Amino acid sequence: MVHIKNHKALIEASRAVLVVMIALVIGFVITALVSKEPVRAYAALLTGPLPKVSFAHGVEITNLNRFGNWLEESTTLILLGLAVSLVFGARQFSLGAEGQLLLGALAAAAVAVKMPAPFPLHLLLALGAAGIVGFLWGLIPGLLKAYLAVDEIVCTLMLNVIALQLFDLVLLNWLRDPGASFLGTASFPASVVPPLLIPGTRVSWMLIVMVAAVLGVWFLMARTPFGYALKMVGANRKFAEYGGINARRVIALSMAVSGILAGLAGAHLSLGLLKRLTVSLAPGLGFEGVVVALLARNDPRGVLVTGLFYGYLRTGAQIMERSSDVTREVVLIIQAVIILLVTAERLFPSFQQWRRTRSDGGAIAIDRGLGG
Amino acid sequence: MSLEVVLQSIFSAAFIATVIRVSTPLILAGLGGLLSELGGVLNIALEGVMLAAAFTGVIVSGLAPQWLPGAPAWLYAGLGALAGVSVGMAMGWLIAFCHLELKTDLILTGLAMNILAAGGTVFVLFALTGDKGSTASLASARLPAVQLPFVNHVSFIGTLLNGANGAGYHIMSYMALLLVLAIWLFLYHMPAGAHLRATGEAADAAQSAGIDIRQVRYRALVASSFCAALGGLYLSMGYLSLFQANMTAGRGFIALAVVYLGNRNPAGVLLAALIFGAASALGAQVGTLAIPPQLVEMIPPVVTIAALILYSIRRRARRAAAARGFQEQAAAGWSADAARITDAALDGDPQSTAPGTSPSKSGIVEGTNKIQKGR
Repeated sequence: MVHIKNHKALIEASRAVLVVMIALVIGFVITALVSKEPVRAYAALLTGPLPKVSFAHGVEITNLNRFGNWLEESTTLILLGLAVSLVFGARQFSLGAEGQLLLGALAAAAVAVKMPAPFPLHLLLALGAAGIVGFLWGLIPGLLKAYLAVDEIVCTLMLNVIALQLFDLVLLNWLRDPGASFLGTASFPASVVPPLLIPGTRVSWMLIVMVAAVLGVWFLMARTPFGYALKMVGANRKFAEYGGINARRVIALSMAVSGILAGLAGAHLSLGLLKRLTVSLAPGLGFEGVVVALLARNDPRGVLVTGLFYGYLRTGAQIMERSSDVTREVVLIIQAVIILLVTAERLFPSFQQWRRTRSDGGAIAIDRGLGG
Repeated sequence: MSLEVVLQSIFSAAFIATVIRVSTPLILAGLGGLLSELGGVLNIALEGVMLAAAFTGVIVSGLAPQWLPGAPAWLYAGLGALAGVSVGMAMGWLIAFCHLELKTDLILTGLAMNILAAGGTVFVLFALTGDKGSTASLASARLPAVQLPFVNHVSFIGTLLNGANGAGYHIMSYMALLLVLAIWLFLYHMPAGAHLRATGEAADAAQSAGIDIRQVRYRALVASSFCAALGGLYLSMGYLSLFQANMTAGRGFIALAVVYLGNRNPAGVLLAALIFGAASALGAQVGTLAIPPQLVEMIPPVVTIAALILYSIRRRARRAAAARGFQEQAAAGWSADAARITDAALDGDPQSTAPGTSPSKSGIVEGTNKIQKGR
């Protein structure tokens, strides 16, 4: 049995690699259309984030900041990917990560600015606040979907709009540093900034928080009754209900727990990377978790790998933009191609199984239609 | 600033004109969302389609003078609009192709299109102009405004019908109004409209009635993207006269909300879009008072969620009522279908052939409830 399972996982992994390869080739073709030196540009994209090791004067490592950028970027993406994998795993199309991220960052910043405390406590309080706010902001659409069958797509999109306005409202009216020349808070006190792991970069304790989150979600999904119930609801809600699972509770909680992770991603942005909070924090970042979760097929261990991969690609793209005539947005095109290829079951039949587990692409709409 | 001044400015013709200007893209994209939603293939990519059309319109109208020197200016604007609409419709077709032929998930395909548009526009923008922010360096054309004759002499009516500067509303504002009427006619007074609604409400039933639901869905997604593309063109060739990266700023997602707040019909979409537009215009006005504009901007999304909740509760009540009606019919044996079902349910229970007095009626009731819940 174990052998068969490993074999299947291997096939899935090689399919994911194949999809990525195809998308990268398409990305290269598009790059070649606009660039005078596409090979150099693409080389920067694919090798940029690696630190350079030279042996001329003993062992010397340069470009460590790029390597750091990769890990920082991946930390956010993996937290978001975990958030999306939980809701997708329960077959819920929540797109609320964006709003949860914003409010998580806001809550962390509020604690950082308004609640002084000694070092480890202050940081923990800020992270806790981000998690709790994310949980609550995820619980709203969760409860509405579970108990009132309110469509989660439109609901979460609207909650994102509200979160954005709330973010500006609180930031500009209560947290803003009036002395600053820009619209944002003052720099956070050192007691709330997570200590660095790699000097010279912004890679901090948040990396450990992220790894702990991966392990935590894996444990939740693989080793707890809740994880089992979530998978059952995702595979077949009616069957799960006949089996005695409280599907409504599972759906509401899956969206809320997902919010914790998105909230932590926001805390990482504000506490770990910016060390302050500014307006227009991270437009569109919430949707980036989708590609991470999809490529990993909602497996938390897979999210670790695909998040590192996608973070690598995004960092490489920034380096490419600085060192060539191609913009980083080529990565978005690659991302779109990956999403289309991963979900195209005619092209890659083995994803059929996943597709079937949430076979309601049209059924969401049909379900709505029946009431109308 | 006093409340009076703000109230005065709100209850003025100029404010109404502003609301119409702000609401136009929401009406157009909302109609696009409506067509796709009624066809059972919700178009999440309205945002991306708007963005791509806005970009293409500006680029083509800006570059056209190089291709066709000496042609009249309206031709450049027309070519830009045509190209923008074509790109938008092509995206709609691509979504339909991926979803219907390659069996991709509809929502994720839409998301992918949004990402593609967000990345693709900036990518091409930089490749063409060397600027990542906007097409400010490119002299692009605007689509014309339509000025109504004679009314400008009457101050209030003039402002109301021709906007604050008296130059008239943008052609897309009239297009939006026209499309509301056209789509209402199409949906409720034409066979093809009935086919569309049938496909969305009960695809299997529509198919067995001989409707080619695949074709209907292709058309729904292409038509939906057509409307959204007009909204995008309005943004870059009317509201502004240049393209900015991510200039749609979530309007495509608001348009989805407009569909539901508008109770899934064209008149409702018009009204809901105006509500969103009014809140946005009001938000700009109350900035002078102590009221933060963000609070006002929050009203429409909150109202939308409230509307979704009400809609759900009403649907639940209607289903319960339908279930009750069904049981009563079955019990009284009024309808042949119901009677047949009753007979089938009572099969093997010969003592209770008299409907209504049957001891196993509660069993049927439970069964019916289950069916209703199961949906």
